[in-house]
This record gives sequence, C-alpha cells and structure tokens, in this order.
Amino acid sequence: MRRLLNWFRRRDLESGLDRELGYHIDRRVSDLMQSGLAESEARRRATLELGGLTRVREEVRDVWLIRWLRDFLHDLRFSARSFRRSPSFTLTAVIVLALGIGATTATYSLVEQVILHALPVRQPQRLVLIDWKGDQVASGFGSWNLMSYPICRDLQLQDQFFEGVLCRAATTVNLSTGGEPRPVGAEIVSGTYFSVLGVGAALGRVLESDDDATPGASPVAVLSHDFWKTQLGGTPDVVGSRILVNQHPMTVVGVAAPVFRGVDVGEVPSLWIPASMAAEAIPGFDALLMDRRTRWMQVLGRLRPGLTVTQAQAGLQPWFQAMLDEDTRRPGFPRITAERRQRFLASRIELSPAAQGHSSLRRRLSQPLWLLFAATALLLGLACLNVAGLFLARGSARAREISTRLALGASPGRIGRQLLADSLMVALAGGLLGVALAPSALRALIGFLPRDVAGNALRSAIDWRLLSFAFLVTVGAGILSGLAPALNAGRKSLIASLRERDGAAPGGTRLRKVIVTGQIALSLILVIGAVLFVRTLTGLLAKGPGFDTSSLVSFGLDPRKSGYSPAEAGRLVRRIHDEIHASAITQTSAVSRMALLTGGTWNDPMTLQTDRRVVTDRDVNLNAVTPGFFRTLGVRLVAGRDFDERDSRPVGEAGPRSAIVNEAFAKRYLGGRNPLGVRICEGSGPDARPNVEVIGVVTDFNYRGLREQWEQAYFPLFEGDDSGGTFYVKVRGTPDQAFRSIRTIVHNADPTLPITSFRTLEEQVDRSLNTERILATLSGGFGTLALLLSLVGIYGVMSFVVTQRTREIGIRIALGATGASAIWLVLRDAIAMIVAGMAIALPCVAALGRLVESQLFGVTPTDPVSVAQATLLLALAALGAAFIPAYRASRVNPNDVLHLE
Amino acid sequence: MPPARFPIPQGTLDMLILQILSLQPAHGYGIAQRLEQISRSVVQVNQGSLYPALHRLEQKGWLRAEWRESETGREAKFYSLTRSGRKQLAVEKESWARLSGAVRLVFDEGSRP
Repeated sequence: MRRLLNWFRRRDLESGLDRELGYHIDRRVSDLMQSGLAESEARRRATLELGGLTRVREEVRDVWLIRWLRDFLHDLRFSARSFRRSPSFTLTAVIVLALGIGATTATYSLVEQVILHALPVRQPQRLVLIDWKGDQVASGFGSWNLMSYPICRDLQLQDQFFEGVLCRAATTVNLSTGGEPRPVGAEIVSGTYFSVLGVGAALGRVLESDDDATPGASPVAVLSHDFWKTQLGGTPDVVGSRILVNQHPMTVVGVAAPVFRGVDVGEVPSLWIPASMAAEAIPGFDALLMDRRTRWMQVLGRLRPGLTVTQAQAGLQPWFQAMLDEDTRRPGFPRITAERRQRFLASRIELSPAAQGHSSLRRRLSQPLWLLFAATALLLGLACLNVAGLFLARGSARAREISTRLALGASPGRIGRQLLADSLMVALAGGLLGVALAPSALRALIGFLPRDVAGNALRSAIDWRLLSFAFLVTVGAGILSGLAPALNAGRKSLIASLRERDGAAPGGTRLRKVIVTGQIALSLILVIGAVLFVRTLTGLLAKGPGFDTSSLVSFGLDPRKSGYSPAEAGRLVRRIHDEIHASAITQTSAVSRMALLTGGTWNDPMTLQTDRRVVTDRDVNLNAVTPGFFRTLGVRLVAGRDFDERDSRPVGEAGPRSAIVNEAFAKRYLGGRNPLGVRICEGSGPDARPNVEVIGVVTDFNYRGLREQWEQAYFPLFEGDDSGGTFYVKVRGTPDQAFRSIRTIVHNADPTLPITSFRTLEEQVDRSLNTERILATLSGGFGTLALLLSLVGIYGVMSFVVTQRTREIGIRIALGATGASAIWLVLRDAIAMIVAGMAIALPCVAALGRLVESQLFGVTPTDPVSVAQATLLLALAALGAAFIPAYRASRVNPNDVLHLE
Repeated sequence: MPPARFPIPQGTLDMLILQILSLQPAHGYGIAQRLEQISRSVVQVNQGSLYPALHRLEQKGWLRAEWRESETGREAKFYSLTRSGRKQLAVEKESWARLSGAVRLVFDEGSRP
C-alpha cells in the first residue's frame, strides 16, 4: 500500500534521492582529493564505487514501487505515445483484433447459452436425465429421451437413488388471459417438478405434488416470470386470476422465480401445467396418464448426495428388469414377436448428467455451434498472426530505436517486455471494440435461427461471464500476437543490429515468413471449410424438396385446442377446407396429418404381404393425406392413381383400405415387382394384418427434411379420421393476397381459432435449412476474411523482403539480370511459403474432416473438387499479392540503388 | 595489491547497517565509511547497494530519516533506528549467533578423527 502511495509522491522522493546521492559523491570526492587525487579522477572513482548513479537510482526506485507495476505503467505510457505516432498501424491492428475477438465472443455466447449453461436451479450438477435404452414397445410423440408417465411415477418410488424425480413434456397450448387465444409454449410437468429442481415462486406458489394427484382435478397453472412481466404487465393480482388453456378454465396459482425459463433452452414455456391436466393441455390423446406404452415425457432425477451417476444407474437395473418382466404380463401389453420381446427385455435404464437440462435445440445445434466456435478460434489465431506480422514489420522500422535502447543498457528482456506491452495494449483496445461489436454480431447470429426457436430463448446481452471470457481471449490474443516480436527482440545481438545498414535483422524476416506460412495454412483450412459448407447449402437448394414449392403456402389448424370435440373438429376442418378449395385464390389444395419439412414424422415399421410376409427392416415414414395432395405438391404419380372417393371406407370399418407408396419404398421392399395390388399394413407384430392395398406409386420427395431419402407410405385422410392438420394450398396471385383470404375464411369459421405456422413452402424450405445456412454464410464470411488477412500478410512480408534486397536486386540487374528473373527471385520465396502453408493445411483438413462430415451433403470432407477449388483460389490470390512487390523489384533502377550507397 | 576480500554475504548488509545505526544516527556516507573501517580487511561492501538497502529498511519502518546539518555544515539525510528497528536488530543478532554456532558445530564434527 505504502509503495502505491509512493507512486504519487515520487517527485519528492526523486529530488530527495538526488540530494542524498549528491552529498555522498561530494564528500567522497573531497576525501579522495585530500589523499592527493585530481578532482576529475576523484569524481570518476567516487561514481565508480557506487556502481553508476543511474543504477543506484533505478534500484532505489525499485524499492519505492513494486518493480513490475512501475515498469508496466511506464511501458504502457510509452506504448500509447508510440501508437499516437503511427495511427494507421494502430488502427489496423486494433480492427483486426476486434474482428477476431468480437466474432469469438459472439459465438462463444451462443455456445454458452445453448450448450454449456447450467440451469439456474439448486445444485444443477446433481440432476440426471433418465433414459430408456432399447425397444420400449411403445408409440411416442415429442422429441427425444421419452418415457411414459406411469413409468415416471414408478421411478419416483426409487428414493434410495433419487431425492426426487420429475417428468415434463413441452407443448403448445392456446392461451387466453382475457383477450383472443394465442398459441404459447407450455410445459406439462409432474407435481414434483419445482421441488426437484429447487425453483421457488416469485409470487403465489409453484406446483406441488397434490396438483398432480388426480387426473383432471387440478385446473391450475404457474406463469413464467417473463410472460407475467411482458404480457401481463407484472400486475400483482395475477395470482387467483382465471385463464383459458385450450378453452379450459384454469386458475393461476403463482409466478415462477425470475431467472427460471424451464429445462429446455430451445422451448421456453410461458406457463407450467400439472400432468394431471394433460388431457386438457394436449387434446386428442386419451389415457396419457394411464398408458405405459405411450412415450411423451422426458424424465429427470436429482441424485441422492454421495451417489455417483454410475452407482445409481447400476443400482436401478434390478428394479428395471423386474418392471420389464412385469410389464410383459400386464393386460394390454401388445402382442409382439419373440425377437422383439427379447429386445424389450434387454432394455436398460441409462442416466446421464443433465445440469443443462434437456434440449432438442442443443442436440441439433451442438455440432454446428462447436464448428463455428472452432472456425472463429482459427480466425482469431489468424488475426493474432496478422498483428504479430504487423508488429514485426514495425519492429524492423523501429530497429534503430531498439538498438539505441539496447546500447544504453536496456536488457533484451526489458525490450521484449515493452513489445509485449505494445501488443497487450493493442489487444485491449481491440478487445474493447470487439466486446462493443459482439452484441450486434450475436443478434445477427441469432437472426439466422428461426424466430420461434431462438426469439425468446437466446439473449444477445453481454454478462460478466462473457466479459471475463472476452478478457481472457483478449489477453491471450495480446500475448500471442506479441510473443514472436518480443522473442525476436530478445534474441537480437546488439552488435549485429548496430552493424546492420538499414536496421533489419535477418531473423525477423525468417520469423515473418513462418508467420505468413501459418496464416496461409489457417486460411486454407477456413476456405476449404467455407467451400464445403457453401456447396452443401447450394447443393441442397438446387436439389430442392422434390416437390414444387412455387405459389405453395401452408398453415396448421388444431381445433381441439380451442375446445372442440374430435368429431366437431373434424367437421370444422372439412368445412374450412371446402371453402378454401372453392376460393378464387386457390388452384388446388389438400390437408395432411403431418406437416412436411419440420424435422418430425409419423413413423412405424410395416408388414407387406406378397407371395410371402415381409416386415420392413426399419421404420417407414407415414402420413395421411386428402385426395389432391400430390397434385397440390406437383408430385408425379408414376403408377396407379391418387386417392378418391372410392377409398373412403364404409361406416363401421376401421383403418384405411388403400395406400400410396413412394418409389424408394417400392425399390427397397418390392424389388422389381409391380407394387400395385400388394397388401401392406402399419405395424410389425404377429397380429399385424396386411390388408391395405397399394393403389399408387409417387416419385420420391422430402418429408422430414431436405437431406433425407426415405421410404414413405400414405394413407387417405377423410372426415372423421382426423380433427386437425396442415393445409397445403397452391395459390393464384401473391402469397400475401392468399394469406389474407385464408385468414378471412378461417376467421369466419371461428374467430378464436389460431392459425399456426402460416408460411410459404419456400420459407419452410429455408427454415429447414437454417443450420446449413448459418454454416455456409458464416464459414463463407470467415473464409473471405481469412483470405484477406493472409493476403495482407503475404503482401507485407514480400514488400519487406523486396525493400531489404533492393541493393542486391539492383546489382543483379546492373550485371545484366532481366526483370523477369528479378520477379522470379521474389516469387520463389512466396511460392515456398504458399506450398509450405498448404503442406501444413491439407493433412489438417483430412484429419478434421470427420468432425464436419455429418454437416455436409453431397460432398465428402475431402472432396477433391472442393479442396482443389479452395487451394487454387488461395494460391492464385496469394501469388497475386506477392506479385505486386515482385513487380516493383523488377523495376528497380540500378543507378538509384548504387547511388544510395 | 590489496588482499582478496570476501563479498559481503547475502542478507547481512541490512544487519550491519542496523548495528552501525544502533550506536548513533548517521548519513549514508558516514555509514559507508564506518562499514569500510570496520570491515576493511575482511569483507567488501559494494557502496552501490548501500542506498537501496537504506531505502528498503526505511520502507520497512526500521529506520527513520531526517534532513539535518552535517559535520561539514551541509544538509545531509541522517538515518536513525526506530523502536521496531532495534527489535529487528536483536532478532537478527540472535539468529546470526545461532547460525554461526551451528556452522561451527558442523565444522567441529567434520574435523574429528
């Protein structure tokens, strides 16, 4: 502390020290003169005895102030002064680093939010996801890791392993808080949900076990803090108020704690509803709470203290085996083949740490996000190399100053530290600018994701965690970009540098070449990545979904969520469809049970009966569609006919009478046989009866997503089959006109019926490609930036080499060398660097290939054409950049050069 | 040619300064001369390290400094021992005695037949 104070009164201290030392010298001089020395000799002796006044002063100053602090402040002040003298250099370095740091910070923020962020709950590290590995012999809906509600109840009894077990399912409900009903995200949860997580209420109470005791008996809900604040204005009297969930009245009992946004980062709920009200929240599924064979909820548990994941998992198996065994004997357990029964009984329970909760968004985005993060890290590395190159260049321009300081007694370490302070200062400025840029970069990144996924889940705000990350990155970048110049300065011998004519050390040139080689290697990796991802996106876009998206719009209706009974809902959908069909804006229209290109399907194995019985070896993607569906999509029938009234079934008969399959199905399971007339059915058990006749074959088109080629089968959709669905309308005129007309038709049928996912199919294709689009756009941007940076690098070092060798080149030309040979002399160096960079990059690309493989489509990670394209592009650009200084070398006038000597 | 002298052992300079100042206050040059006199034939004190040491001891609160007139009539910075400086000197003398005693014991052990 006292030392810090000294900093402020150092002027007093300095003058005191001067007087004190002056007194010493004067006394010594007069003593020595008395013993007979001349004054000058006495003065020399006196100073020598002290070991030099400057050194003594320095050492005393070190006593006053902690040495590094004083030096550091001094270095920084010196850096600031020298930066003011060369603003363009400083600006370039700061901007280059700001780009690198800003991009890295922004992608890290996404990585943090989507992948790393632990739930804001009590001891999140004790949470585990409980999952079923194996065949559950169950149908399911929802995303991943699903189990049935009764099995979750069973798990809640395993209290020797768990403090508590919760289950939850994300859904969308039509919520009315007074006005028109709107679709909002909701989480259907067990009564244990809040207590297991350890999340409290901001207002009122959270859900409790009693709320989940009797099916249908607890019409209560807890609102999220965000929803309460933004949609209800944060009114305190919300507790006790009535809301309508899918037109069912419920009472708000509380508002959850502010920071808590559910356990799924991609699906932020506006409210929580107890599982006892599942029938109201998820209409159309009966007996969800009793049925052991419908998987729809994720199950999470809180481990007992002292238990590890492995212990608990091992401990659960005996109970689990016994439960499986019991399940097979329960009434209602489906009849299955012996082989499937074996698979069922071989199932295991698996626990995995779930401090971050459960998220399908994470599952989908993890790999692309890590890839992006790796790309930005490469870019940052490249930026550091660039700044290191700039510093080296400046270092050689400053060589005189540095040599002089060395001659005056500064140690090489001292000079090195000064250079490090320079780069740290630049990095700090770059870091500040980068952090200022990061939120807009982050907003742009989030903008790539579909709004309904990312809009309320991901934030572009900068918090302390991100700031500390940015700070670490900044310091790292500062050290990285300053290390090479600093080491170089430390290595330089004083004599050598003073002897040099123009103050350029050959070691500097070598180091700069190494740096440029590294830049070329890094940017080649990024450029190859960019080419691969761009080809993936353009390939997918060019291929398209296999049907005609032009003038095609789609939207969803689910009247059951507005309180309709299934029969009423079916009639309403039929009526709306008839009106749309007859409308002037419509060319053709159709309804399907499942929406296309959303990532979801209805899938099941099938059984075929030809001359023998065949069970498909994998799930077939299924859908139910009205007549005219294929015509609306512009999908060609290659054989047979479309559904029509003949396919409607007589009263009292269950199940479809006919089916249409796609070419992939026909090829995989029927070989060359004529598919028409073959009998098939859904299901694979011994009781599956193939009695549905194939009446048509359509060309392949995409159902789940654009990458998929899969076997598909379609059943007819008629009144009474379904009570909701996705409408596909081929419109005349602009989609906007169509949207208005369709809205009016639906509004006239029922003003409170919300329309979901109202968009053109072109938009739907875009949405389904958003991951590919992010990767292509960003890797393209990074690749371009990387290319530019390395071009600047190679141009800089070649210019430097030319300046250095001007005299040599001049003499060569004077002795008769041609301009072309001078160009070659310079380009040879550049080619060596380019080739070396490529020799480093290409094996890396081959090694990194496996990491990106799953994100690519239509190209392999080492696709020769893409690699060749990227390599050629980089080589040509780099040669171009090197050619400018080379050309300058060829124009050297020998007279001028020799004159300069 | 003067006889070879030992460089002053690391860490003992502070103790010597405290000892000299325990007799009477002195300025830097006076301390240097006393050191020179006392140890002329034995140890070599680098005068360059004297001033940093003085400032270090002052910083630690063992010395107090004031400007006053010296024997030549010119102002000089006189150092004197503070109370904690006296304590420190006692501590250092103690530990020095123990260390040299211990070293002697080791040497005696080694010279036995």
